[in-house]
Amino acid sequence: MEKGSRRSFLVFSINWATALIGGVLSLAAGIPLIGFAISPAFKKGESKWVDLGLADRLKNSRFKKVDYTFTAKDGWVKATKKRSVYVTDAGNGQWSVFSRTCSHLGCLVRWDDQKESFLCPCHGAVFDQNGIVVAGPPPRPLQKLQTKVEAGILYVKDF
Amino acid sequence: MGFLNERLPLTEFSAHLRKPLPKHINLLFSLGSLAMFLLLLQAATGAFLALYYSPSPEHAHNAVTYISEEVPFGSFVRGLHHWGASAMVVIVFVHLLRVVIYSSYKAPRELTWIVGVLLLLVVLGFGFTGYLLPWDEKAYWATVVGVEIASTAPILGVFVAKVLRGGSEIGAVTLARFYAVHTIWLPWLAFGLVGVHLFFVRYYGSSGTPQNTPEEMKTGKPFYPDQVFEDVVGMLILFIVLAAVALFIPVPLEDVADPTNANYDPRPEWYFLFLFQLLKYFQGPLEIVGTFVIPTVGIVLLLFLPFLDKSERAVLWKRPVALTVTTVCVAGIVGLTLLGASSPKLETADATIVQEVPQPTEDIQKTATLDTETAEVEKEEEVFDFQLTEEEIEGTEEEEEVFDFQLTEEELQ
Ligand code: HEM
Ligand code: FES
Repeated sequence: MEKGSRRSFLVFSINWATALIGGVLSLAAGIPLIGFAISPAFKKGESKWVDLGLADRLKNSRFKKVDYTFTAKDGWVKATKKRSVYVTDAGNGQWSVFSRTCSHLGCLVRWDDQKESFLCPCHGAVFDQNGIVVAGPPPRPLQKLQTKVEAGILYVKDF
Repeated sequence: MGFLNERLPLTEFSAHLRKPLPKHINLLFSLGSLAMFLLLLQAATGAFLALYYSPSPEHAHNAVTYISEEVPFGSFVRGLHHWGASAMVVIVFVHLLRVVIYSSYKAPRELTWIVGVLLLLVVLGFGFTGYLLPWDEKAYWATVVGVEIASTAPILGVFVAKVLRGGSEIGAVTLARFYAVHTIWLPWLAFGLVGVHLFFVRYYGSSGTPQNTPEEMKTGKPFYPDQVFEDVVGMLILFIVLAAVALFIPVPLEDVADPTNANYDPRPEWYFLFLFQLLKYFQGPLEIVGTFVIPTVGIVLLLFLPFLDKSERAVLWKRPVALTVTTVCVAGIVGLTLLGASSPKLETADATIVQEVPQPTEDIQKTATLDTETAEVEKEEEVFDFQLTEEEIEGTEEEEEVFDFQLTEEELQ
């Protein structure tokens, strides 16, 4: 082998070794850091039953806005979260409870008694009384929450 | 000076600064310096605001109120930072326009342009992460919508949204990470990118207006002191205007974020209104066109503009295609912004009835644990929505949080 080519082989090896060390260092530091940052995205969301109060108190209500609070873990705090839903007594022990979260981009819809529909204050969505999109951008109907009545108390499955 | 001169290439440096600029150059060529001034001002006012701010849902709103109402000079410092952010968006946008008008993005300045587009995104990122921090209604709902927009992106959208929020809902983790990104990540990125941007600007030299002949490219006034002086005068004027605005127009602070409010109409900060308005036009299955396709295509086209338009350098009025595209884009953005700004508030019949006939029983308030809460307690809860009781704090330790890829102690055994 000639001297020049030996030198160039050496340079070649040094370049690769440097790149390799650089790569190992980046991975060794990068993987834990990225895992650290994105870990919350892997956490399983849990939906649970929350209590809306005595079903009797809500008897005959029609698209009544009910606010409720519940505690849930929010990172390192146990937070009191507030939500509200629209509750309708469908008779025969059946309940229809709509989430207020617009199925477009998450603003809170409001029930309008005169227009008989849910209106979204953001991009103009209109949902009918069954939560079906009548106008505006949402790609899906309004979410209907699962309900159950136990010991006279109305529960909804919080998403 | 002698001591430093012997040790540093100051003479070369000063000669470099004194190099002449192109002969034809105008006031619009100071916009980059003004953007840089604003970035420094934002960094300074932000560093001081951080002395009193606290990035947690139970404290943020109170901290911002405290800054505005109690800390001496607080409303002024916050005013400078708030209005400075708006000024930054305007100045950077006009700087971009001036680069387009004089076709300064063309070879060999493509890299300067690309770094510039990245800086534009960083500036918008500052805006988006910054206005969650006061944790008022506007902050909360703009973030809800902003993150939902991200979640509509194909494949990774939902994941990205969860990473942004630090979970499936906006809360303490979201605020902490937005704060970190706003005050640490983005500033580092911004200063790094500005360094590269300015290196390119000096390396290729100012492009001047296209009317410069090749001989005239080096026969203008020197950068230092003439241009520097003009830039500094510009900074002074800009600062006076900002200071006046900060003194006389109080920075808005709405009520603390309330996810049950039935009377709040969410609107983003003015510089995102065009997007807000755009989203209205793409309905049902076309939703993604407004949330993802148009923004992404827009950014990509902007990034690669110098490679798409390789025509001769000339002022914008002499380039019919470029003039048309620019006019349509600017008119589109301005038009959508104005439409967004004037979109009517939602008057629901329901809300009006409640206002006319105040009926406290209309909205049933219910807590999972207590049936008999007094109005006072409820009010307190509104303000300190996320405050812990002592029992709850003790409770936190017991509960274990399991990340998908993490082993619990039991599993290890
Ligand atoms: C934080 C944001 C920014 C800062 C601090 C900044 C700073 C500067 C400065 C100081 C100059 C030289 C003076 C001048 O020509 O005005 C400059 C030039 C330039 N900027 Fe920016 N800029 C920013 C954003 C942008 C954006 C958003 C673009 C375009 C997408 C851009 C593209 C350019 C180009 C192509 C030049 C070279 C112009 C020439 O040589 O004539 N910059 N910038
Ligand atoms: S969030 Fe309801 S219409 Fe967009």
